[in-house]
Amino acid sequence: MSGEREAQGAEPPRPAFDPRMLEVLVCPVTRGPLSWDPERQELVSKGARLAFPVREGIPIMLVDEARRLDD
Amino acid sequence: MTGEAEGSERLADFGFQTVPEAEKAHRVQGVFSSVARRYDLMNDVMSLGIHRLWKDALIDWLAPWPGMRLLDVAGGTGDVAFRFLRRGGGSAVICDMTPGMLAEGRRRAEAQKLGGRLDWVCGDAMALPFPDRSFDACTIAFGIRNVTRIEDALAEAFRVLRFGGRFLCLEFSRVPDDMLRRLYDRYSFQVIPRMGALIAGDRDSYQYLVESIRRFPDQETLAGMIAAAGFGRVSWRNLSMGVVAIHSGWKL
Repeated sequence: MSGEREAQGAEPPRPAFDPRMLEVLVCPVTRGPLSWDPERQELVSKGARLAFPVREGIPIMLVDEARRLDD
Repeated sequence: MTGEAEGSERLADFGFQTVPEAEKAHRVQGVFSSVARRYDLMNDVMSLGIHRLWKDALIDWLAPWPGMRLLDVAGGTGDVAFRFLRRGGGSAVICDMTPGMLAEGRRRAEAQKLGGRLDWVCGDAMALPFPDRSFDACTIAFGIRNVTRIEDALAEAFRVLRFGGRFLCLEFSRVPDDMLRRLYDRYSFQVIPRMGALIAGDRDSYQYLVESIRRFPDQETLAGMIAAAGFGRVSWRNLSMGVVAIHSGWKL
């Protein structure tokens, strides 16, 4: 079963992050708005100074996974 | 109640072990990352296929309507959300802590051509990345047991629901009948971890699952917690003699 997936490893690339999601999501810390950084593929919460990654089109809204903007 | 609980020395249950609160989420994530691919297959085997009926019963009680917007917390592989759409719901967001479960769910959604009305978000049930009052319904099926602080997850569900919105929770519960419970315990502890080892090659994860079921509050206790989070008209239904229960609460 797992071999089957590896075999078709060349899945079509995920569509980039859908900007429509900006209306659905808020920062889990401040509950404030997010902005989209297309270059880094990150959702930025200015209030929390955190940037949340988007991996394979799925926003990862976990503080532990976010990049701190201070450094 | 919305304790951020940073650096607290508080402890959480992890099955029958006690671990620092901060550690539980990682451990749970580990369990589900390791079972993601075969998660539904294992559910089928462990529950003899009955988990499908339990999820159907959840959607029966929810009674979706066109345009209804659902947040399914810990919805991993999309089982509940797919049913919701097929039964006439409008759109759904699936929020789960484990990216591997979401990727699996999205793959299935695309295969079933349901993708357009579903969004997949990796997030924490205790700090949901959604605005206040943005959903008509919030479900959590076999997920709340794995949350570190159940109270925080309930408070978050309350926050993101609109007034008049509905919270439904499907979870393992306590079999009231003593003799049945003894049989069920034996099945759980003798059979399930072995099946986990056989089918998923992962005994420990399934050992955790059965232990965490026993540590979870019973029907009445959970109903009290849901009411304490602000929900009204809290009630529950037992399924399969109390092996699982569906709890319901309204944001009034």
